[in-house]
Amino acid sequence: MSRKSRFFAGGFLVALLPALAAAQTTISGRVTSEAGVPIPSATVFLEGMSLGTQADQSGNYSFTVPAARATGQTVTLIARRIGFTSRSTPVTLNAGPLALDFVLALNPLHLEEVVVTGAGTSSTRAKLGNVINTVDSSLIRRSTEPQNVVNSLAGKAPNVEVRSQSGEPGAGSSVKIRGAATILGTNQPLFVVDGQPINNDDISTDQTLTLNQPGGGGEVTLNRAADINPNDIESIDILKGSSAAAIYGARAANGVVLITTKRGHTGPTRYSLQSTTTFDKVIKTMPLQRKYGLGLDGIPFVCGGVGCAVGGLQNGSWGAALPAGTPTFDHGSEIFDTGRTADNNLSMSGGNDRTTFYLSGGLTAQEGTIVGPNNKYNRASLRLKGTHQLNTRLNVGGNFSYVDTRGKYVQKGSNTSGLLLGALRTPPEFDNRIYIDPITGLHRSYRYPRPALGSETRTRSYDNPFFTAYSAGNRSELGRFIGNVNLDYNPLSWLAVKYTLGGDYYNDWRLESLPQSASGFPTGRVVRLDINNLEIDHNLIATATASWTPNIGTTFTLGQNLNSRRQRQTSVLGTTLIAPQPFALQNTVSWSPFEARSLQHVESYFAQGTADLYDQLFLTLGIRNDGFSTFGASKRRHNFPKASLAWIFTNALGNADQQGLLSFGKLRLAYGETGREPTVYGTVNAYQEQILFGSGYGDLINTSQSSQPGVTTDITQGNNNLRPERSRENEYGLDFGFLDQHVDLSLTHYNKRSTDVILRQPTSTAATGYFRRFANAAVVTNKGEEIVLNVRPFTGPLFSWEVGVNYGRNRNNVVSLAGAEFVNFNNEGFTGAIGSATAGVGVGVVRGLDFIRCGRNLHIDYDGDGTVNDIDAECRLSPASPGTFANGALFIAAGGLPVADPTDRVIANPNPKYSMGYSTTARLGKLTFGALADVRKGVTIWNGTRGILLRFGTLDETLVRERTGTFGKDWATDVYPTVAGPGAGTVAFATANDWQDWFLGEGGGFGTTGAQFVEDGSFVKLRELSVSYSFDQKWLRDRFNFSTIDVRIAGRNLKTWTKYKGLDPEANLGGAEWLTQGTDYFNSPQTRSFVLSFSLNR
Amino acid sequence: MKKYSRSIALAALVISSAAGCKDFLSGGELSNDPNRPQIVTNRNIFVGIQSATWADYNSDLSRLSAMFTQQILGAQSQYIPLYQYAIDENATNGFHSALYGSGGLVDIRKLQQRSTDAADFRMLGVAQVMEGMVIGLGADYFGDLVYKGALQGGDPTLTKQLEVYDSVQAVLDQAIANLASTATTNSGPGPADLVYGGNAARWTALAHSLKARFYLNTAEVRPAAYAQALTEARLGIQTEAGDYHSVWSGRGGETNFFYQFTNEQRNGYAQPNEFLWNLMQARNDPRRPVYFAGPVDPDVGTQVDFGEVDDPTHPQQIFSADENTLIWAEAAYRTGNQAEALTQLNRYRAANGIPSGAQAGAALLREILTEKYIELFVHTQAWTDYRRTCFPNLTPTVVGMKIPGRLFYDALERQTNPNIPSAQDQPTRNQADPANATDDFGNVCLGQ
Repeated sequence: MSRKSRFFAGGFLVALLPALAAAQTTISGRVTSEAGVPIPSATVFLEGMSLGTQADQSGNYSFTVPAARATGQTVTLIARRIGFTSRSTPVTLNAGPLALDFVLALNPLHLEEVVVTGAGTSSTRAKLGNVINTVDSSLIRRSTEPQNVVNSLAGKAPNVEVRSQSGEPGAGSSVKIRGAATILGTNQPLFVVDGQPINNDDISTDQTLTLNQPGGGGEVTLNRAADINPNDIESIDILKGSSAAAIYGARAANGVVLITTKRGHTGPTRYSLQSTTTFDKVIKTMPLQRKYGLGLDGIPFVCGGVGCAVGGLQNGSWGAALPAGTPTFDHGSEIFDTGRTADNNLSMSGGNDRTTFYLSGGLTAQEGTIVGPNNKYNRASLRLKGTHQLNTRLNVGGNFSYVDTRGKYVQKGSNTSGLLLGALRTPPEFDNRIYIDPITGLHRSYRYPRPALGSETRTRSYDNPFFTAYSAGNRSELGRFIGNVNLDYNPLSWLAVKYTLGGDYYNDWRLESLPQSASGFPTGRVVRLDINNLEIDHNLIATATASWTPNIGTTFTLGQNLNSRRQRQTSVLGTTLIAPQPFALQNTVSWSPFEARSLQHVESYFAQGTADLYDQLFLTLGIRNDGFSTFGASKRRHNFPKASLAWIFTNALGNADQQGLLSFGKLRLAYGETGREPTVYGTVNAYQEQILFGSGYGDLINTSQSSQPGVTTDITQGNNNLRPERSRENEYGLDFGFLDQHVDLSLTHYNKRSTDVILRQPTSTAATGYFRRFANAAVVTNKGEEIVLNVRPFTGPLFSWEVGVNYGRNRNNVVSLAGAEFVNFNNEGFTGAIGSATAGVGVGVVRGLDFIRCGRNLHIDYDGDGTVNDIDAECRLSPASPGTFANGALFIAAGGLPVADPTDRVIANPNPKYSMGYSTTARLGKLTFGALADVRKGVTIWNGTRGILLRFGTLDETLVRERTGTFGKDWATDVYPTVAGPGAGTVAFATANDWQDWFLGEGGGFGTTGAQFVEDGSFVKLRELSVSYSFDQKWLRDRFNFSTIDVRIAGRNLKTWTKYKGLDPEANLGGAEWLTQGTDYFNSPQTRSFVLSFSLNR
Repeated sequence: MKKYSRSIALAALVISSAAGCKDFLSGGELSNDPNRPQIVTNRNIFVGIQSATWADYNSDLSRLSAMFTQQILGAQSQYIPLYQYAIDENATNGFHSALYGSGGLVDIRKLQQRSTDAADFRMLGVAQVMEGMVIGLGADYFGDLVYKGALQGGDPTLTKQLEVYDSVQAVLDQAIANLASTATTNSGPGPADLVYGGNAARWTALAHSLKARFYLNTAEVRPAAYAQALTEARLGIQTEAGDYHSVWSGRGGETNFFYQFTNEQRNGYAQPNEFLWNLMQARNDPRRPVYFAGPVDPDVGTQVDFGEVDDPTHPQQIFSADENTLIWAEAAYRTGNQAEALTQLNRYRAANGIPSGAQAGAALLREILTEKYIELFVHTQAWTDYRRTCFPNLTPTVVGMKIPGRLFYDALERQTNPNIPSAQDQPTRNQADPANATDDFGNVCLGQ
């Protein structure tokens, strides 16, 4: 009888009773690398006895074997650490102390690391026939934005494209793995935590109501995977290809992110307190001119009278040069200050020979960079994870977490009440800071500078940004429970059974409001939304292991998965506030409710067999049979097979000791199929009973009128033959280790073809009566290459240095859209620049209009004289180069101006041609330096913000009004480097008024031509630069009882190299729910941060 | 034995968890959408069609019409290029598809079928009037239209504009016949009909008025249509009580579209146009303060509001007795009966508080057309009349450009039906209204 633990039912309190001294065995020693450096966190354990511990920061370990179990037998003692080759030695357990030191050889390829391969299965890295990228806890802690686990994936693996919506608190992030495979819904991977799928929805409050703003208004939206406390995460495995992900069948077409949380280890109880403080600044503010004031035609406009409104074309900064001494304001920067985040985590873990536990609590409080108190995100989380060995064959475990998140947000984006929309349009001489009129106490903005009494519900045209920032009323409060119980049962020596029953439940309370006089809805508006989500997952697998000869080992796994997802969204739009406050539904005059309920079930079976031959050939075969309630009734079950082969040819060459020039070599071949389920209720044909749109300008009519109930046929036709989308992917690769494993290189090529891709296939309304029809009709391909190179020139005890590069290239193409040329994504963008999937180009590309160009064989009556003009013939009339023109040259009509081409086409492709990540770590003694850079190339972005600010004359660039200008020489040369046509070379802009008229019309953001504002969005970002020091001196232990104290200072997003003229090439108008990731319309900026972190461990 | 019992227990667990869920994948909320109705009544469908039709006539198209005819000014954002005739195949905002889908022809035909099955000839007649109203407007704006092969799948071909108008006349004739039915099974829309309360006589008069309007719209190429328009106008809506207009409660989703656009959604995009304001001012038109709230001068910069036409509950006209009277007047004039024309013009004037007069000849026609231009404020028919008559003889807003002669088919329709030509291959004007070289008074037509 020695140590004993007891769970008090109800309290989850763990009492650890002190060990009793008896005839026990104490095993202790030190674990170091060949270079003599201690290996902290190395696991030392007795094989088959569930006894062991972890080494401390100095590499020392010590644990006790109870007398009852130390019976003089000989067992194997193993020391293991990821990144090193494990060592074992036989020991005989007698009473008394045993001292054993271990020296482990470096094995940077992590070949023996256990890799979670999904649905309860695992393997070791050496045996994998496909790519699984792993991000471990140290990298997650170092990552750029610790608040959101998705951000920790940025730059860590090739073709894992992470984008955050903005630097605002609560901004969501999206991750796209190996390109977009789908064109309806999202391209987000499946997130699985400790074997249990969790919800990663990204739901914007006003998206749920088909409200008046086009997409991209409202506030930031958080992707729900951000509810996981990154400090609880041990490692993340990214299943990229279909071969790796096929075990998740029809939920895995966009890849799978497997998150494993930390657990306790046998041994003394460990405590860790981490405290991180971050200071955030916006990276860039819009460069605005401070010289010309409000007005038109160079004539100032003074709106001095009470109740005067700035209307018509007078609302831009096209007035006179401001008299010297006029105070002006930087409207781009005055609305921002320094943001601050405090992140504190306390964890406790440990265990005895039969029970382990991990208990943690985290508190994150983020104050954003926008002025005012309404820009924050707080998260509190708790986790308890424990295991207990009931008997030698049965282990039970539980893992429970609760998170509480609360956010306050500011209206943003495409929204007349949005922060930057109002701020950046304001003329320089208007003082936005006085957002409340001192006389009336009412909201004033530059277009309504002297509010009249009684104008409480009158629009201000654009809100004063300070009014926006200080208006409370956009909130989200969420409580979420994720937990599971699991059983590990080994009834026979060759048979292992694992069972997990998990639940993920959250309730998200949302409030979004516009106060009275807000331009978005001057009489005031309240949106209340409740999202209630429940996912229950049952996963049962049995694995049989057999070794037929010493050289042939096989496993066979059978599994069953049952999953139920239930979601309830209830929202009510209350319009017209009765009293100015509170923002509550009963304080509004009329209400429109909206409810969306759904229930989806999955019933699946899977089988997997593996064979290990002669320690060099590893074969995996598997199949998953999926039944989904969302599949059409005509065929309810579908199969997703996979196969992979790994051959370690260096073992065949007799180089099993991993030494020499070619120290390791592996060939990988893999094939797999994955799927994606149809939208819930896509099989149903029904009526709609809510809103019928009147036009794209937001004016609308309900189907019911004056209490008379009305319905109309839904615009989308259901389809009871819907099948899952299916991705078939081939993956080939080579992994090498060179120079005694000082260098490793991994090369991968993949070719993924997704067929039966579901779309709301546009249909001829005249032929069918429907606008769209759900159909398995599109074909999308993603082909690419991935290269990972790591070099470790120095691995000495005092100095070590490691450099890593990853490169990913993906070519996304939409092969077919069932005959359609393109499919527009509803609400993703604007009529001038709308997201789409376009055949022959790709998913998420932006469509709009361009100017007429030469070489397109266009015949357009551009001058409206009733005669069709042959454009190419007119291009030959260029005065500078008569008779010739360059294909793609901008056509310049007589007068010197280009003309809009009425044909809608692809104008921007935000999918990167390639991306790269660079990382380096250098360690000098206890000092560690780290750097991480991120490269994205071949991206084009529609910069709608710039177009609008040209129109309003506030952009710095509009100082061009002081010069004369010619297309092709002085203006738009980056977009249109060559010009032709009768007006080529003609001075189009002789006066400031010429510039003004051009920007007020076709040349500005309210013109029809979106292509002129498409820019190169490629960038190189220095994501992180850090230095950390680890104190582990003896006095620390003696005086303060800490084993180590780590101090880390870091800067993130320190520098961006880009040609992009907007705030940030990464900022994205929508969140992860958007398939289009390259539209900029008054997007909020990204932030640059200074990070200070302390970690106290004992 | 113990080993085996474990294995059996395990196998039983696997089997039971599978077998216990026979209906795990279907039934209840798994198969039936809990959010959208699948069983509906005829009156439900009628109200949906009613809403969609109001949207067709009173939303974006009426504002486009008013911009092209310079009743309003496109002053901001997307309305500036539209005011300068920069139209493309997205400019209709989905209106072309709305003719057929969701509350359009698809539901009209459903209602006709269900009414026929129920022997509800009054509802059938009403649905046929709705069909004429919607398809006729489509023919006005797009010309050739998918109609004969509509809603039958495949790749339907375009029916020539004049044929569409003929079919519209035929369906309105059927409507008139069905509305005359006295079958006991007739139920009609009843109170769901927010304008007429299901009154068959009022629907019949509307059908005649619509016939008159669509005859008039073909008269530029079929001069005989004036006589037909005259016949129908005499049977059409005669009093204000017979006006067909939207009825707005003022609640969310139930308000005047013009109000929503100018006040709630796109403040400042549409502003009063000097041209119409000056015209009404010069004529001392009593409706000026109804249309406009103050003096109009776009260079003043102060925002001028519209009058009560953009109040949330102000009804928006679709077919007024006034329009019917002016059709009657014009058709009488064009068929040589100036006395009848003057009588109708004066009847119209009396109804609108305008002193009567005794014009004759060209002056009489000018008065009729001027009154109609003013009467059709922010109304889809204003632009259609302009295309036919070149009246008023507007100066285009952009030098060297013509006022648009038609709208492009929606991009959606063009990409899903190979029989729809690309935007650049579509005609600039429709079959029924070739460009006028001169207006009715011998002046060169400036905008066509």
